[in-house]
Amino acid sequence: MTEQRIASLLEAQAPGAWELYQKEGASREITRTANQSCETSRKEEGFAARWWDPALRFAAASSAAGLARLIPLAAGAPAAPGPVPRLPTGRSDRPPSPGPPEAPPDLFEELARLVSAESRGEAVLSELSVRRGRSLERVRNAPGLDVSWSAKALTGFAAAVGRRGGRACEARVPFRWEGEPALPALARRLCDRTTLPLSERATAVERGEWLLDVSVTAAVLSGLAPLFTADAHPRWAARGALLPPEISIVDDATSEAPFDGEGTPSRRVLVVDRGTLGEPLHDLSSARRAGARPTGHGVRRSYRTPPVRAARRLFFETQRPVSPRDLLASVKRGVFASALIAPLACDLENDRYEAQFTGVTVVAGRAQSPVAAARARGRLSELLRRVAALSPGEEFFPMPDLVGGATLLVDRVSFE
Amino acid sequence: MSLDPSTVARSIEPLARQSGTIADVLVERRREVTVVWRDGEAVETRFVSTEALAARWQRAGEQRLVSLSRVDESGLREAVRELQTGLGRAPIPLRPAPATTSPQQESAPAVERWSKRLASIFSRLAPRHCFRWTLQEVARDMFPAGAPWLSHTRRLLSLEGSFTAASRRGDEARPFSFHSPESETTADELRACLARAAEPREVPTPGPEGETDAVLAAGSAVMLFHEILSHPLEAGSVSPLSGLQEARLAVSDLEVRDDATRLDLFGGYEIDDEGVRPRPVKLLDAGRLAGRLTSRASTERLEREASNGHGRRAEVGDPPLPRGSNVIVSAGGVTREEMARRLGQGLWIEEFAGGSVDLARGSFRLLFPRARRVRRGRLAEEHGPGMLAGEILPALRNVESGLGRETHPYRGLGWCSRWGQIVAVQGASPDVLIRQLAVRARV
Repeated sequence: MTEQRIASLLEAQAPGAWELYQKEGASREITRTANQSCETSRKEEGFAARWWDPALRFAAASSAAGLARLIPLAAGAPAAPGPVPRLPTGRSDRPPSPGPPEAPPDLFEELARLVSAESRGEAVLSELSVRRGRSLERVRNAPGLDVSWSAKALTGFAAAVGRRGGRACEARVPFRWEGEPALPALARRLCDRTTLPLSERATAVERGEWLLDVSVTAAVLSGLAPLFTADAHPRWAARGALLPPEISIVDDATSEAPFDGEGTPSRRVLVVDRGTLGEPLHDLSSARRAGARPTGHGVRRSYRTPPVRAARRLFFETQRPVSPRDLLASVKRGVFASALIAPLACDLENDRYEAQFTGVTVVAGRAQSPVAAARARGRLSELLRRVAALSPGEEFFPMPDLVGGATLLVDRVSFE
Repeated sequence: MSLDPSTVARSIEPLARQSGTIADVLVERRREVTVVWRDGEAVETRFVSTEALAARWQRAGEQRLVSLSRVDESGLREAVRELQTGLGRAPIPLRPAPATTSPQQESAPAVERWSKRLASIFSRLAPRHCFRWTLQEVARDMFPAGAPWLSHTRRLLSLEGSFTAASRRGDEARPFSFHSPESETTADELRACLARAAEPREVPTPGPEGETDAVLAAGSAVMLFHEILSHPLEAGSVSPLSGLQEARLAVSDLEVRDDATRLDLFGGYEIDDEGVRPRPVKLLDAGRLAGRLTSRASTERLEREASNGHGRRAEVGDPPLPRGSNVIVSAGGVTREEMARRLGQGLWIEEFAGGSVDLARGSFRLLFPRARRVRRGRLAEEHGPGMLAGEILPALRNVESGLGRETHPYRGLGWCSRWGQIVAVQGASPDVLIRQLAVRARV
């Protein structure tokens, strides 16, 4: 069964209104603990078709023959008619098949040593998993689109346990490295997350400045992401300035892939332009509903699911970046949030947030004492308006789509 | 089955010649249909059909696994070859792939039948809604080296989303989730669960803060015991329960077991993903800590007998981990009214939206979307979303003697994620009264 045969099947079901997606992926993963190791090699191929007859239909299979068998089944299932989006056109060269990836580096001993040194022996690396993956994706559609692209990534997670006296704390930190493995930063994050909560001290600062570590900023930005893909904004967000005028929020996945999961070219979009809400992110369907151009934000998290409208690589941008060291020095009295200890709660509809974090009290630009757990909660709109400064983007986190972290300083926050 | 068991055995058995070695092949075929429902209309239908094969080798602390999304003889040879190459052994020779067999006929899923049933249920009970209905059929064949091959199939149904329900001061959106193996009674059970969820209620007030006693009713205590017993007792986990074998931790009428053989519950299965038939495992026996959940890979001895059948893989390409399945709490003799009277002041909770446990710290959290205040033994006002929190050992100590008389399956729990590996779980429990938990409202 060739893709051409599937294309003919789809054309018969929905003339001029179909899309065929194909993915080949391979990965190698090494998971290590102190006394166990697991090496995993995965190869996956997947096919997915969407068509509008004019009801939206989706079918996916791990083989072309499997997909061909599903198409008539899906075509006969109940589904309500809907608008057919305007499908993109264009062609690109097909990159060579990525081939099997190399084995990822075994970094367990080195990271274990760094974690131990950074925590003065209080934290122990319990597990490290590093995965190197490569993929080749292709999208074709009825109007003649045929684009392909390849991608590679080095991702994984590290887990550690901190112990002090009879108390213990466990944490697991995901990472994604774009270049060389950034082990010192990972070790520091693991140590903070596993040892700071052991201090059992509450914050002495009830109200003051809040300095957010890159991972905490990324979580806040990830919590805001649905704002940029919503058809209608909550009143507080639509009212006026969201952030101070020197700060913007950008989604730019051009460095990741030249196209999104629907074949629309990736491009840079200012979702918050100098403080105010800018251009929304659109996939094909939402662009059709809004009468706008798609922005390349139809995201496929797997070939098994249809593309969803989502941010792809979101990050803060500022006209006046300040280094993390200078941000710390500028804190008169506040708390540095080193890591979240519970998922950030963001209620965009009702303009509320709640963050539980572990960190360090900062007075006159100097770290004073650890804070085992603190809570900041209130209005999201106030939190955003009170952003005083931020550092240049430092790192991207898979949440699950990529979100950039930067050190962020917020004025006048209450802590519990 | 498209793989000949004798061919698989010939391929995999040379890898397990040394004693203390595990070698196996797992094959999965998954068919899934999802219908998105909005206000009585099926607006989108998705069909997914996947196949995957994984070959695994394990000896002492070293494990290797190769997975492919192709289930045929050449896929098997490719996986075994890669495993052999990784182990530094001479790989089996490549052979041209045999002629492909004629395509299998996809079994027509029961979409039409279910669409009629769902349309009727929704129109009567929750006409305004956004639900995602999924029916998946997962067939797994396990070929362990040195043992006969085993096969099992599960058909699992889920309905998740939200609907608009009437409350005394207007409409409100309520979340709803229901997970059950597909059977003749599933539709009736779904109807009953949705009817209960759609009952008119008071407008909730913000949740309480501080310390509270609570009755976990309608089977929802499954969530508590899943977090504070099932996870800590997965082999290899280090938690406050480690080293407390046979210690008395709770009242003597508290009996909790993990039972994967309960196929009427979402987490049940006939064989685990290492080819071992599961056995019910007592986690708490008359208040004393009893067994642990083990897999072949997690035990010192790698024999099949050392495992109690809890080696589970989320995906075929994942290494098996010891995981829980269905948490079953034995019933007592207390009626619902008596339970409320015993509670006196506190919270009456019938559903949880999620939970987590920090094994190293020994603490847990359970998120509830709403709760009823109980005053002087009577149900009073409604509270909005909140969180119960506590520590494992004190929570077990604070479970009151006298459990509810009826055991209810808790269909709201369907999936459990541990380190990103998601497996089906569920359980059944009577009403449970627990004292001195921390509670607070949440966003």
